[in-house]
Amino acid sequence: MAAADSTEKPFVLIETSDGIEIRVDREVAERSVLIKNLLEDLGPEAAEQGAIPIPNVNEAVMRKVLEWCEQHKKDPPAAADDDADNRKKTTDIDEWDQKFMQVDQEMLFEIILAANYLDIKALLDVGCKTVANMIKGKSPDEIRKTFNIQNDFTPEEEDQIRRENEWAEDR
Amino acid sequence: MTTSRHQGTMPPMPNKDDVDGTWNFLETGVSRIMENLREGMEMKTYMGLYTAIHNFCTAQKAVGTGGFNNNTRGGAHLLGEDLYNHLIEYLKAHLGGVQQASKAHVDEALLAFYIKEWNRYTTAGTYNNHLFRYLNRHWVKREMDEGKKNIYDIYTLHLVRWKEDMFLGTQKSVMASVLKLVEKERNGETIERSQIKSVVDSFVSLGLDESDSNKSTLDVYKEYFEKPFLEATAAYYQKESKEFLAENSVVEYMKKAEIRLDEEKERVGLYLLNEIMTPLMRTSEKVLIADHSLALREEFQILLDNDRQDDLARMYKLLARIPEGLDPLRGRFENHVRKKGLAAVDRVSQDGENLEPAVYVAALLEVHTQYQDLVNKAFNGESEFVRSLDNACREFVNRNRVCKTGSTKSPELLAKYTDGLLKRSNAKMTEEDDMENLLTQIMTVFKYIEDKDVFQKFYSRMLAKRLVQTSSASDDAETSMISKLKEACGFEYTNKLQRMFQDMQISKDLNSSYKDWQMKLLGEEDRKLAVDATYSILGTGFWPLTAPTTPFAPPQTIVKTYERFAKFYSNKHSGRKLTWLWQLCKGDVRATYNTGGKKATYMFQVSTYQMAILLLFNDSDTVTYEEMEQATKLQKETLKPSIDIMVKAKVILPSQDNAKAEPGTTYTFNPGFKNKKLKINLNLAIKAEQKQESEDTHKTIEEDRKLLMQSAIVRIMKSRKKMKHQMLVSETIQQIKSRFSPKVQDIKKCIDILLEKEYLERLEGDELGYLA
Repeated sequence: MAAADSTEKPFVLIETSDGIEIRVDREVAERSVLIKNLLEDLGPEAAEQGAIPIPNVNEAVMRKVLEWCEQHKKDPPAAADDDADNRKKTTDIDEWDQKFMQVDQEMLFEIILAANYLDIKALLDVGCKTVANMIKGKSPDEIRKTFNIQNDFTPEEEDQIRRENEWAEDR
Repeated sequence: MTTSRHQGTMPPMPNKDDVDGTWNFLETGVSRIMENLREGMEMKTYMGLYTAIHNFCTAQKAVGTGGFNNNTRGGAHLLGEDLYNHLIEYLKAHLGGVQQASKAHVDEALLAFYIKEWNRYTTAGTYNNHLFRYLNRHWVKREMDEGKKNIYDIYTLHLVRWKEDMFLGTQKSVMASVLKLVEKERNGETIERSQIKSVVDSFVSLGLDESDSNKSTLDVYKEYFEKPFLEATAAYYQKESKEFLAENSVVEYMKKAEIRLDEEKERVGLYLLNEIMTPLMRTSEKVLIADHSLALREEFQILLDNDRQDDLARMYKLLARIPEGLDPLRGRFENHVRKKGLAAVDRVSQDGENLEPAVYVAALLEVHTQYQDLVNKAFNGESEFVRSLDNACREFVNRNRVCKTGSTKSPELLAKYTDGLLKRSNAKMTEEDDMENLLTQIMTVFKYIEDKDVFQKFYSRMLAKRLVQTSSASDDAETSMISKLKEACGFEYTNKLQRMFQDMQISKDLNSSYKDWQMKLLGEEDRKLAVDATYSILGTGFWPLTAPTTPFAPPQTIVKTYERFAKFYSNKHSGRKLTWLWQLCKGDVRATYNTGGKKATYMFQVSTYQMAILLLFNDSDTVTYEEMEQATKLQKETLKPSIDIMVKAKVILPSQDNAKAEPGTTYTFNPGFKNKKLKINLNLAIKAEQKQESEDTHKTIEEDRKLLMQSAIVRIMKSRKKMKHQMLVSETIQQIKSRFSPKVQDIKKCIDILLEKEYLERLEGDELGYLA
């Protein structure tokens, strides 16, 4: 991490769980509220300590997350909770994000976990919406298949659940 | 990159499923933040703490950890309660120690300690809030969403603990130190103001809204800071003001109080919360002003008597700050002004009957000007004081020694004063601006006059005279005065005045077209003989003039002259009747004297009556009184004074010195007449005549008032048809008030007259009805 140079954008170094240092614009890194708070709390002296250790995210996932952060670095800061509720209700995802999320399932879940850990609310939302879209319109069996889940209900249990949730079904 | 930190190394990352292990790990970090943050913190530690909390909260094994209450309600179970409770225990223990340590300090040292600990604690709180953010985002949020009481985000939790475990135990001693410090400052010492400001900020931060932790209230601050602060303020100034007043004058005290109030106001800006402004001011005002208002008011009369404008202004400003503080002053002020006004009139009224209108008006104005100035400068032009001033002025303008015989004296004198101003003869030709000012002053007095109808009467008579005698100083001034009156009393009030003015304008045009007509019609010979004359045609209804009371036979030349004009006029306006107001006519007569070979020509300005008499001497050097009476047909009352003036001027000489103008006296033309001036005015108003006129005016006022009241009554009844007697009387008073103050008795008389004339009828009860 270097002191803000007038010609160069301030940047930070991030050390992933697998020991790789990544250099990234501070503005981009601060999409993560965790990193933002850390930089604020520890102040300029933190610069002397080298890279920020991120023990829960590996390089591959971190690069993916930072790619998203780069794309969204100019987004307005996270809206208040009330507005977020609105966003939650729709499963619309903008085009770039859709493309971004076209990754294998494992990576998708890694991104979600990382977003949760790093406290990047918008990315977490996009990830969850992507998963929600994968579930939408599918039967329980199809869902099980999609996510590779074993059915551990007995037929009686299953029947009871169906009856309890009858009201919610599309007719 | 140099790392030279003396931090103890953190224990190894705990197992995410291990509550005790995780908390032990966290406690090391939290206490480092709490106690050693000054030494800085490694990123690794920061991230380690955050990650440990994250890992704990996201541990899969959600069920059966420890003995805490398991929530099996819908939705995933969120972990975190353990950490939250551990943190509470930690904070309690930490703050217990801090509170214990605070007991070692008093006064400024205690404040310094409190502030230092507060700052350290809240900084740590911010850190912890960030480190426990994962807990905030999930477990705390869920608990709060579910409506759990007493669960706060981590920063708020810090504040809640401070309030419970530190604040409540120390606030008393902290406040005592604060108040001591403030007292020191009030005593003139310099203090560390920022200390108090920090305490205020701390108290404010502790005001948490129980129902919504995002909001804050001022409850804590109000209870523990504002209240004791106000109490101390009241006590301090109670003592001080009492002691000060015991040794100093009220005037000095007012200065002191003013300074003290300013200081308190300033204090708010320097280190208090703005919210305290109103209660602090109210408290200070009560102790500094309201509690001593009696003493202040006692001083009011003394200040008025000595005309201490600055001190009066100070008193006004002080008493204006407390509720109803000024009310008792208004009555005293009104009384004082009235007395001053009456005294001023008393001083000038010693001249009795000969009181100069200008002197009288000046006396009224002087008092008004003085106190209006006081109201504007010292009392901020406040409307209630203006009203008191008006009340007082109305009293002394209408009811003073000069008006003893009746309130009609004031309007009469004012009208006379106005006449004097507007007359050309007014020796100092007043500048236009000055004139405007003087007229405005007249209006000031006029405003207070109750009998505005009397003023109107006198004014219109005098205006008529000024116009007819062309003795008005300036048309502009006349117009300005009329428009001022119109503004004050409405169109009706000035209608006739305006018509009079118009008549004069029309007459001017008429005269010039008459000249043209004459030029065309008359031969050269006739023109030479014709008397050069100007005519004023005055509409009968608008002018307060009446036909002459005496018969008169004008001299032959005049007859010829006016007959010619009458012919011209009836050509122009057939059907109009001209009445000649001889008493108002005047003319110039040239007399050529030839004494001792020296030729001297004098011009006599004379009335038409005098002209008729003088012209008799063209035929004979001696004329008897009887001959004059015969030729002019004038009555004795008019003839006598006309002769007297000419005798006095030695234009004609009576047969014997001091012979009275009566039958038997003979007059001779004085060939030896001499005067320094070539133009001699013999057309002087006669004193007796003036007095007579004034009396006449007063007489007509009574008659006019009766008519005014009657027409008002009829107007009211016409629109109401039926009305109670009492109501009718008060309504009539209401309508007429702007002209004069009618007496109830007079109105009743007028109602009786109207009943007799069958405009009204008596109905059942006390009611009156209108008869169309």
